[in-house]
Amino acid sequence: MAISVDHFGRTYSTATGTFTAVDDLSFEVASGEIVGLIGPNGAGKTTTLRSLAGILRPTSGKVRVDAHDLVDDPLEAKRRLAFMPDEPHLFEYLTVEEHLRLVARLYGVDDFDRRAGALLDELELRGKEKSLPGELSRGMRQKVVIACGLVRNATTLLFDEPLTGLDPIGIRRMRETIVARAKAGAAILLSSHLLHLVQEVCTRVIIMDHGKKIADGTFEELASRADLATAGSSLEQIFLRVTGHN
Amino acid sequence: MFTASIYIIACSLRNRLRVRLRRLREPRYLLGAIAGIAYFYFTVFNRFARTGNARITREGRQVPPVGPQGVLQAGGPIMGLALLVLAALAWLLPATSTLLEFTEPEVQFLFPAPVSRRALLVYRIVRSQVALLFGALISGIFVPATTIAPRLRFAAGIWVLFVTIRVYFAGVTLARARLTSASGAARRVAWTPVVVILGAAGVVGTALTRAFLTQPMGNAREVFTGFSAALTTGMAGTILLPFTMLTRPLLTSGTEYVTALVASAAIMVAATLWLVRSDAAFPETAIASAERRAERKAKGGAATPTARATGWTLAASGSAEGVFLWKNAMQMVRNPRGITLFRYVVPLVLTVVAMSAAMMSGNRARGGAAVFCLMAVGIAGFATLLGPQVVRTDLRDDLRHLEVLKTWPLRPAAVIRGEMLWNGLLITGVAWTAVICAAIFSAAAFPQLSMLWRSSLSLTALLLAPALVFGQLTVHNATAVLFPAWIPLGNARPRGLDMMGQRLLLLAGVLITLAIFMLPGAIVGGVLWFAFSRFIGAAVLVPGAAICLGIVAIEVLAITEVLGPAYERLDLTGIERPE
Repeated sequence: MAISVDHFGRTYSTATGTFTAVDDLSFEVASGEIVGLIGPNGAGKTTTLRSLAGILRPTSGKVRVDAHDLVDDPLEAKRRLAFMPDEPHLFEYLTVEEHLRLVARLYGVDDFDRRAGALLDELELRGKEKSLPGELSRGMRQKVVIACGLVRNATTLLFDEPLTGLDPIGIRRMRETIVARAKAGAAILLSSHLLHLVQEVCTRVIIMDHGKKIADGTFEELASRADLATAGSSLEQIFLRVTGHN
Repeated sequence: MFTASIYIIACSLRNRLRVRLRRLREPRYLLGAIAGIAYFYFTVFNRFARTGNARITREGRQVPPVGPQGVLQAGGPIMGLALLVLAALAWLLPATSTLLEFTEPEVQFLFPAPVSRRALLVYRIVRSQVALLFGALISGIFVPATTIAPRLRFAAGIWVLFVTIRVYFAGVTLARARLTSASGAARRVAWTPVVVILGAAGVVGTALTRAFLTQPMGNAREVFTGFSAALTTGMAGTILLPFTMLTRPLLTSGTEYVTALVASAAIMVAATLWLVRSDAAFPETAIASAERRAERKAKGGAATPTARATGWTLAASGSAEGVFLWKNAMQMVRNPRGITLFRYVVPLVLTVVAMSAAMMSGNRARGGAAVFCLMAVGIAGFATLLGPQVVRTDLRDDLRHLEVLKTWPLRPAAVIRGEMLWNGLLITGVAWTAVICAAIFSAAAFPQLSMLWRSSLSLTALLLAPALVFGQLTVHNATAVLFPAWIPLGNARPRGLDMMGQRLLLLAGVLITLAIFMLPGAIVGGVLWFAFSRFIGAAVLVPGAAICLGIVAIEVLAITEVLGPAYERLDLTGIERPE
């Protein structure tokens, strides 16, 4: 399995005590699969993605990427990962091209010029190579983050709200890009509140609430579940029923 | 609107106080508050207790406490001149008044509200009073006096001065926006104060020049009294009257003080009326200021970088440390403040070196070379001991990018070492340049030292500089990894007594740790000195310093390796940052 999450838990220490963001979460994502991670605000989606990306250390359980444990063997695991966060964190003093070059150096990308050129075209960043992040719109910065994630041969892609700030053309391009990467064999975990996007591109859906997994399966499997059979035909209706908001 | 202003100010103050008191539950804030209060007590109040008591001479006579009034009395016209220069510079410099920097919530809530532009300006003036009153009270505390009345008098006078300056700068910012107005009448109105203030500066400048040329001034006292005389008589005296009137409450007492305060308050009111009547360009200017403020806040207070070409492209392969060296170099070079350093300081240093060398070679002004040597020693000392504290282009600054750094497949030790590399090389380079300059001119400054001593000391300094710089950087970056909550993010400078105390505690911790860090090298150096100094003299300092440098290098490598697990665990999400 490209991604293997086994009894993963994450708690935060706060001034008033500890807070459990994710509790006993287990799931797997295979190569070529696009799994949607959905849930209400505060469900633990972003914590899960940030832990998978190696930003947060799991409090309990195991997280593996291509069989490499993120805690025991972090370098090998991270080499296979690309994380595209919802908030584009870029170095304000590096240009778009320099960001791509930096990532290429860190991940040992051989044919940088060809790959970077193709990505600039694909994400409509051509002409912005020499721009600093401060000179770009929110959507363009998001595209730069995504380009940094795609410029290397990552086998596992983690998207957190990838469409935030993109225009309609950008949204369409991004959908195509995600599907194309999955067809090329990448395992994709995608978190989004845009349920129609999840329904359209994902092959499987995981629903979280209050840090726990409350549903996991293909759209058809969820729709045919006994307790959800009467929920309705759309993912939105299923989501509302599962999370108790229907 | 006035009551709404008071409501916002009162609620904000109350909530800020509540947040600051609540955060004292965290040990670091409590410790910081205790340290801050102790520092404040020992440096301010305790000093007043001493200065408040009349000094007793050896003969037993009482000497009244010496206050600044005597100096200020004579310096009144000079202070007026300084205010005139400030008023003229306000038109020439492109700075924007902070009085017009509405916060994002203020723009969002108040701008669409049915409130006039003038009311918004009044709101900002009222809103700024908290900080101005606080500043005035702090200034009053520093007046050495035995009773509270002189301090309060001084605080009231300085408050009027602060408000007038603040309001005037805001008025200039608004008026500047109308200098290029499409309407000819508006342009004429806008240009009038510019012409008046520059004309006034010209008249006063001419009077000063004349006084200087007609009456030769041999020493500082003559310059002082000559200028004071020129500034209080004739046309210059009349022009400076409003400016000297503003400073009068700081210099007088009794009934004269009341008159002076009323006069300065009248100028403050006049400036305020001018501001609120200049409200035509207000919304655009205020929104632009708010946007700049929001942008600065989003970048952690950092200046806006520019995408200038550097000619340094990151190589496709190489060490991880090299990536950080390049990245941090780009950050400094593209930061307007960083490039200013290169653009102005380097030519300045080169000019001073060239001038001093010329003086030295002429052998007519050896004193200049000696002064330059001492300056170079000072720069080397400052760079070595305080450089790592001031220049923060390392993990301390990059904590705000931690989420990106942690996704990179790099060994934590390489990240920490790489982050320190550019800073260390830069500061060491500055220190080395200063040491070499000092060495070149050392014969003039230290003629009593032999050539062997001077060259040995210089070589020792060259070897110890990187040890001290990288030693300190290791301590600072280790603090960022182990105690990230103590490190302000980016260029943020959180305020408050507890934050001041935290900074003091952090500095003390760094210095103690650095002493421990340097101890093994110092011991070996000391042993070498006692064993061989009688045979080879000062030359033994050099191998001692080299061994010390080697030991520190090993310590840096070892500590960065040891910090690895802590870096892996590093998580900023649970940290409550001050507002």
